[in-house]
Amino acid sequence: MQIAEWIESEILNGHFQSDQKVYSQYQLAEMYTINPATAAKGLNLLVEEKILYKKRGLGMFVTCEAKEIILNKRKNQTLKHLVQELVLEARRLQISDDDLFHMMRKEMAEEGGK
Amino acid sequence: MKVIESKGITKNYFRKQVLKELTFSIEENKITGLIGRNGAGKTTLLKIIAGFIRESSGKMDVFSETPFNSLNVSVNSIFVDDQMSFPPALQLGELLNEAARFYPNWNDELAQKLFNYFSFDAKGYHNRLSKGKTSTFNMIIGLASRCPLTIFDEPTTGMDEAVRKDFYRALLKDYIDYPRTIILSSHHLDEIEDLLEDVLLLHNGKKLLHKPISDLKEWAIGVKGASEDVLDFTQEREVLYKNSVGMNTQYVVVKNDFSEEALSKAHHSGLEITPVRSSDLFVYLTAEAKGGIDDVFNNN
Repeated sequence: MQIAEWIESEILNGHFQSDQKVYSQYQLAEMYTINPATAAKGLNLLVEEKILYKKRGLGMFVTCEAKEIILNKRKNQTLKHLVQELVLEARRLQISDDDLFHMMRKEMAEEGGK
Repeated sequence: MKVIESKGITKNYFRKQVLKELTFSIEENKITGLIGRNGAGKTTLLKIIAGFIRESSGKMDVFSETPFNSLNVSVNSIFVDDQMSFPPALQLGELLNEAARFYPNWNDELAQKLFNYFSFDAKGYHNRLSKGKTSTFNMIIGLASRCPLTIFDEPTTGMDEAVRKDFYRALLKDYIDYPRTIILSSHHLDEIEDLLEDVLLLHNGKKLLHKPISDLKEWAIGVKGASEDVLDFTQEREVLYKNSVGMNTQYVVVKNDFSEEALSKAHHSGLEITPVRSSDLFVYLTAEAKGGIDDVFNNN
């Protein structure tokens, strides 16, 4: 669900703080030209994951632990998945572990040098 | 509340059965996409809902009454397509005024603004408009009437890309401000899927499926990899689509009733698991048993 991911990123980069109100399903529907029901599904997904909470009649707000939950989720799912892909591809190309580590270290050094 | 309730609707045109035992209902204030290939029966179904024609058997209820010959349904619904007929003696500006008199929820401000935005001439005539302009004008009537039941049958016929985008956005914005039951028929699912809440898929006059668009997106998966692995993984399942890529690689689409573990195991064994676009799924589900277009050109 792209809407959920986008709101997560907005929380991660600090555009939405704890206890701050996020966009309503109708605002999201307007912004992305999508059905409001689809936008609501995205928001409810985040409520289930305790990233947002509902205040009756007022809207959806960011929970205190939102940032931590998103960071954990990205680490345990997204990053883990990327690492799996990396290892799988390395196996397909028959790259040795040392070579792979070397490539990663080199990339990290380049990234760190910026 | 159910705005439309169709029970076993069948329609025959002479010897041909166009609709077969259609049973479904549509809830108030949802946008439903009526999707089907050419000749699937979309227009016939929509015309029965609008009360333009009569079913051969079964029972159709719209706002809890039979739409055929119902003034109540007529006032509360609008059927927009590229064949809408307007009095040829009236100018476009006059047509807007007449529509304003007929439809109780008509919003003249919206009508005038759209009319100007799309550069219509109030003194022009409907039968002199181009295909795309005809569709655009009819769409303005459809939106500004703000009918509790608004039916668009292939509304974008002839519209260029920019106008189509404008139309989808206008439809959504006005829907957010004034929610109403909308049916949008199209064979371009990828173009309208973001707007939809539900999809009703027709194939050869029958209901293939009717479900939320979000469910449709997860309904099937594509599996790609070495042929024997793919066949092994998908055995005893109904194959919706199959394609050989290269020497020993296959891409197979099956219904997604696998567990998370099974999928992750398959992925680890080297199979590529991908979501299936709903527009592709639509093509696979409605494919004829005659094979593909390639067979036409295959002389052997």
